[in-house]
Amino acid sequence: METVVEIRHLKKSFGKNEVLKDINLKIEKGENMVVFGKSGSGKSILIKCLVGLVQPDAGEVLILGKDICKLNDDELNALRKKVGFLFQSGALYDSMSVRENLEFPLRGNKTNTKEETEALVIEALKNVGLEDAIDKMPTELSGGMRKRIGLARTLILKPEIILYDEPTTGLDPITSKEISHLILEVQKKFNTSSIIITHDVECARLTANRMIIIKEGTSDITGTFKELSESKDETIRAYFQ
Amino acid sequence: MIASIKIFFEEVAHLAMFTFQFFKQVFKPSYEFKEFIKQCYLIGYKSFPLIGLTGFIMGLVLTIQSRPTLVDFGAESWLPAMVAVSIIREIGPVITALIFAGKVGSGIGAELASMKVTEQIDAMEVSGTNSFKYLVVPRIAAATLMLPLLVISADVIALYGSYIGCNINGDVSFPLFILQVFEKLSFADIFPAVIKTFFFGFSIALIGCFKGYNATNGTQGVGKAANAAVVYASLGVFIIDMIAVQLTNLF
Ligand SMILES: Nc1ncnc2c1ncn2[C@@H]1O[C@H](COP(=O)(O)OP(=O)(O)OP(=O)(O)O)[C@@H](O)[C@H]1O
Ligand SMILES: [Mg+2]
Repeated sequence: METVVEIRHLKKSFGKNEVLKDINLKIEKGENMVVFGKSGSGKSILIKCLVGLVQPDAGEVLILGKDICKLNDDELNALRKKVGFLFQSGALYDSMSVRENLEFPLRGNKTNTKEETEALVIEALKNVGLEDAIDKMPTELSGGMRKRIGLARTLILKPEIILYDEPTTGLDPITSKEISHLILEVQKKFNTSSIIITHDVECARLTANRMIIIKEGTSDITGTFKELSESKDETIRAYFQ
Repeated sequence: MIASIKIFFEEVAHLAMFTFQFFKQVFKPSYEFKEFIKQCYLIGYKSFPLIGLTGFIMGLVLTIQSRPTLVDFGAESWLPAMVAVSIIREIGPVITALIFAGKVGSGIGAELASMKVTEQIDAMEVSGTNSFKYLVVPRIAAATLMLPLLVISADVIALYGSYIGCNINGDVSFPLFILQVFEKLSFADIFPAVIKTFFFGFSIALIGCFKGYNATNGTQGVGKAANAAVVYASLGVFIIDMIAVQLTNLF
């Protein structure tokens, strides 16, 4: 098995607030890792450390074998093209239409012709079931639609690793299920590895190969969905209710 | 007190680093040419009506207000030249830059700040785009080049306003007006005045980008960034103007 993400002794604090104390994590190729944890436990900060948006205080982060703290700007940008990131807030570009939003990550690739780009955009929108929204502006979309467009934008580069920050939060149960299945489909089709942050037990049940629960800044609680949800420890079972 | 002095110097140091970053990125290949043209259109062309209008009023009012004094001295024929010199040397660049700071500086500050606090800038970064190069560089470059053009057009429109002002109470033909203006106007009036507007444009956009790009604290931060952008950019215009006057007088 090939390890695509490895985190060793990661630490991050904001002032006196020690958010992450000692995180250790390994993700193999083609694996979905679901992350649970209370609100404010540092899940979003953890994946932001993985793409260099947040500088960790200590510890190592290896993505596809490269230590991201030691890369220069160009190397970091090249690596970031292989890592998809779905923001908790969607983070769509307000001043651009849906089409331009999706074309944005493709800008660097000069090899794509206009037709190829168009085809990729349509395909990405089809994946999330929103072909009709192509010429809308983000402000004209509902919260759930924004989330799905954000997902389409993340998937358009066919990244090797995808970091999902709460992909189903705020969606109805039916759409949530569709998104969970989409995550699975992407995993099968492109053999991607993912970290999925969620509070949604159903999403975790469907997508998780392995799970981790962040508690008090550490990552000691790991296991499969079945192991953790049937754990003898009541505090662990509480996450699944 | 000590703490606020410390914050001030930290801010100045950050601004210096931000400026350095700009000069580093602006010459590095893979230029965002399309964004630059778009920003020239938004920053330059879209500001033209506002700046044209203020220019016209500036010329008209200045002429009407100066007239009585000059008439008292029996120097009415000096009116066009005097108004032209004050507009081209000082009032035109400064008033235009202040209007520009209010419109463009705050616009840039608010736009970048809202992109920052809604994680849009982070999203650009993780998609492998250099957000500084894509957002900051074209805006500063466009403002630096557009403000001088706006000032020159404002000057021309202000002179036309002055011509109309001269004809409200007196009677000056257009050729005579032009003759009287250029009799007293020299290259040394025009050249330094145009040069300093490049610095005005640069500093206005630089401060707007700096405040916006480093915004924090959610929506509250957006308002703060837009506000700070206008205040410090306007202050910057006066400071640069003061330095420019001292430098011009040296030669
Ligand atoms: N820029 C920042 N400055 C200071 N503190 C921060 C900053 N960003 C996050 N924090 C703190 O870090 C902690 C973890 O934040 P994070 O966003 O990772 O939580 P989370 O686990 O994703 O929560 P949620 O499930 O609500 O999204 C919080 O206590 C927050 O107050
Ligand atoms: Mg979060």
